[in-house]
Amino acid sequence: MAARAEFLERIRREVAKTPGLFGASTAPRPSDPAAGAEAIRRELAERWPEALERFRQEFERVAGVFHRVRDLDAVPDAIADIARERGIRSLVTWDPAVLGFDAAAALSGRGLSVIAARAGEEHEVGRRRHRADAAAAQLGVTGADLVLAETGTLILLSGAGRPRSTSLLPDVHVAVFGRDRLLENLEQVGVMLEALHVDPDRAMSGAMINFITGPSRTADIELTLTRGVHGPKEVHAIFVEAA
Amino acid sequence: MSEELLRTPFPERAGAALQDAFLQEALTIATTKFIDLRKEAFAGFPAGEALRDRARAIKEATLQHLDVHLERLADNVERLGGTVHWAATGEEAREIVLRLCRDRGVRMAVKSKSMATEEIDLNEALEHAGVTPVETDLGEYIIQLAHEKPSHIIAPAIHKTKGQVAELFSRELRGQFPADPEVLTGVARKALREKFLQADMGITGANFAVADTGTVVLVTNEGNGRMVTSLPRIHVALMGIEKVIPSMSDLVVFLAILARSATGQKLSSYTTLVRGPRRAGELEGPEEFHLILLDNGRARQIASTLREALYCLRCGACLNVCPVYRQIGGHAYGYTYPGPIGILLTAMLKGNRSVRELAHASSLCGACKDVCPVRIDIPRMLIELREHLDREKIAPWTERVVFRAFRRLLLSPTAFRLSARAGRLLQRPFVRQGRLRGLPLLFGRWTRTRDLPPVAARTFRERWKELR
Amino acid sequence: MAAPVRAALMITCLGDMFFPEVGVAMVRLLRGLGVEVDFPEGQTCCGMPLFNSGYHHDAALIAARTVKLFERAEHVVVPSGSCAWMVKTEYPGLLKHDPALRAAAESLARRTRELSQFLVEVLGVSRVDSKFEGKVTYHDSCHLLRGLGESTAPRALLRGVPGVELVELPGADQCCGFGGSFSVRLPEVSSAILDKKLANVEATGARCLVACDAGCLMQMGGGLTRRGSAVKAVHLAQVLAGEVSR
Repeated sequence: MAARAEFLERIRREVAKTPGLFGASTAPRPSDPAAGAEAIRRELAERWPEALERFRQEFERVAGVFHRVRDLDAVPDAIADIARERGIRSLVTWDPAVLGFDAAAALSGRGLSVIAARAGEEHEVGRRRHRADAAAAQLGVTGADLVLAETGTLILLSGAGRPRSTSLLPDVHVAVFGRDRLLENLEQVGVMLEALHVDPDRAMSGAMINFITGPSRTADIELTLTRGVHGPKEVHAIFVEAA
Repeated sequence: MSEELLRTPFPERAGAALQDAFLQEALTIATTKFIDLRKEAFAGFPAGEALRDRARAIKEATLQHLDVHLERLADNVERLGGTVHWAATGEEAREIVLRLCRDRGVRMAVKSKSMATEEIDLNEALEHAGVTPVETDLGEYIIQLAHEKPSHIIAPAIHKTKGQVAELFSRELRGQFPADPEVLTGVARKALREKFLQADMGITGANFAVADTGTVVLVTNEGNGRMVTSLPRIHVALMGIEKVIPSMSDLVVFLAILARSATGQKLSSYTTLVRGPRRAGELEGPEEFHLILLDNGRARQIASTLREALYCLRCGACLNVCPVYRQIGGHAYGYTYPGPIGILLTAMLKGNRSVRELAHASSLCGACKDVCPVRIDIPRMLIELREHLDREKIAPWTERVVFRAFRRLLLSPTAFRLSARAGRLLQRPFVRQGRLRGLPLLFGRWTRTRDLPPVAARTFRERWKELR
Repeated sequence: MAAPVRAALMITCLGDMFFPEVGVAMVRLLRGLGVEVDFPEGQTCCGMPLFNSGYHHDAALIAARTVKLFERAEHVVVPSGSCAWMVKTEYPGLLKHDPALRAAAESLARRTRELSQFLVEVLGVSRVDSKFEGKVTYHDSCHLLRGLGESTAPRALLRGVPGVELVELPGADQCCGFGGSFSVRLPEVSSAILDKKLANVEATGARCLVACDAGCLMQMGGGLTRRGSAVKAVHLAQVLAGEVSR
């Protein structure tokens, strides 16, 4: 504790020496984040078609592949098509309870191995098996908790039944979402983040939020862009109309 | 930085860089590309200018209550089950990491790119302690294999051509790899995937830490930032104290401009928000989360002329536009942080004496200030630094004598007039076709590569008599 | 009839010693536009070389002197973006410890303009009938461009000269490598930066390179003649006054 007190005291002393360079304030915060989030959801309930179109453009601009299906029943087939086109055999998915559809059930017996993460397996054996499955899989299926049109970004909360590696270890990542996830701009994301953190342990079962904007990439060698460095080489988004 | 390197005077280090044809080519390609990408990103982003002002204001406002925000951050991290460590110096930070490694039986640590860990020479310390640090950012991986230091704040291996990388990989990884970035990236992906899965510890920096929620934020592109914070059982984040911001509402302001300034992307491929160790319901994630808050000379700047340098987001935009950096690259600067902001950070971390040469490695053109997302007035601070070098008598006495004499000349119109006459006399042997060449002493530095106009036969003042 | 505009010339140390023809061109140009031109004779230098190298106490002494020299001038016109910047931006700060001098510095800052800004803002000039034929290209001096935020006035004035074909210089906003003492502290780096600039200049096919700063003209002109280039480095005033020979 001495280290902390001393450390902070030193900073306090320096801060006290000067009023600063100019009068400045931090970003204004929503006084009622939950209400703010609700207002945004209402707005997007009207504007989702524009938001969706903007998302598609921006997503494709960062090399995302956009798909659109009628309802959740059509999703497993869409995933199977993506897998088949790439000669992919092994898939991992989030918990069907989280996704709203059971890819494993729908695609069993079609020459595809589909392993779903299940909430409630968080013990040593479960963890080890899950890691092995995730590391071996070629395609990972997740939902998307927020979808940002302005930048073509998928925002995923980690947690029970929604492991982090599903969107990270396999070569191909497929995210499935409906119109109620769409947001138009980063400022709205800010409000949503404020709302999530009012009672974070209730709102989120995990400790990580990932913003995913296209596949993994680097330009570290001569500023030549390559995709699929450590994370996925491809990102797909399946929009479900009826969801 | 390397001690031997620093014993060579800066002009020589710069000269060597100018002679390096590979480096010159690599620098031109990389910086030009970065400049174009950033320009394009902001051209299509009219809201950008106002956001830059807001980002600057948030940084300033945060500094005005830095202790309060850090305390709040620490409390929140601890509430989440993380551990906060307070490192007044680089050495203390190294000790904290080493102690953790000892206590937890860490043998291998995978690292996401972190300039803060470079700043404190963490890798060397880990190696000496028998812990293997593995750099996983492609650029850092390349320079780790090459036993070099990063030459750019966000693209560490930008000084290497693809041919050099292919040669390096072929030699160090024992294979035959072509000079194809796609292939070489694939090689790194394969080599490092195993490391991610086996490592005991993941070490990162932090682009931001949100005090209100205890969240550490990482802005990356490759996926390694996500790997090292989800796969190993311990996550250690090393963070300069100036990275704290108050809330999520502040965070999105910075996210809107950071990637655009750095690489021209609207957002980087991954923005990762880490709120402590894994929670009970998670299959994955570290059991332990450690946040090391690093001072290492930063607090001392809060009330100094270098205060603004604490706003820095480490985007690298100033490097890309700097006419000096573009010519000499990062290594010639000799310290962890190169380029315009690097000179200020070096003074901050190592004291004014360390920049007695570097403070003049600038033509004060102002391009850096133009592109800085938080509008840091780097040229002004370089001039202030130079003023310190004079006041603290760090500048060579010969130089101070010359400038004092110069002042006396400028304060006396008579002396000024006489100097013109003296100049006309002294220059006679050196006039060739109306230009001065081959001048001696200090002036020779000019005429080695450029002509100089001679002192006019009649100065303007002398001609004014007829003009009036 | 309106009272004539009266302007005092701040010729700058480099202008006085090395480029008097620029001053002469300025005088002719301004008189041709109906301006009464004055030249306070005690002037020497704005003090920027001292300021940039960190000798602020010394620079302040020069600033104090300059402020007094020009205190009665209605307008002060400077053929140099960097010197105009020095007076307008830095003088008040340098003299902040003496309220009277500080006030005088702020007044001088308001009355001082770089030449192209004076022509456009005060005189409202858009077209100058000058004798010039051919391609020119324009280099943005750092202190005029970023310090004073000016990139349009010089270009507009050049385009306003019948016979001038203005070709945009790639990387016009990039430093020429002068930077005052930088050019001799780090001559190799300065020259490497200059080489890049001159390669761009020569690629435009222009016969003249125009700039609004003596330091830049010394650097770029010195580089051009050293490499035997056919391109002439000239000051904006010379083009506008029709004093650029073939």
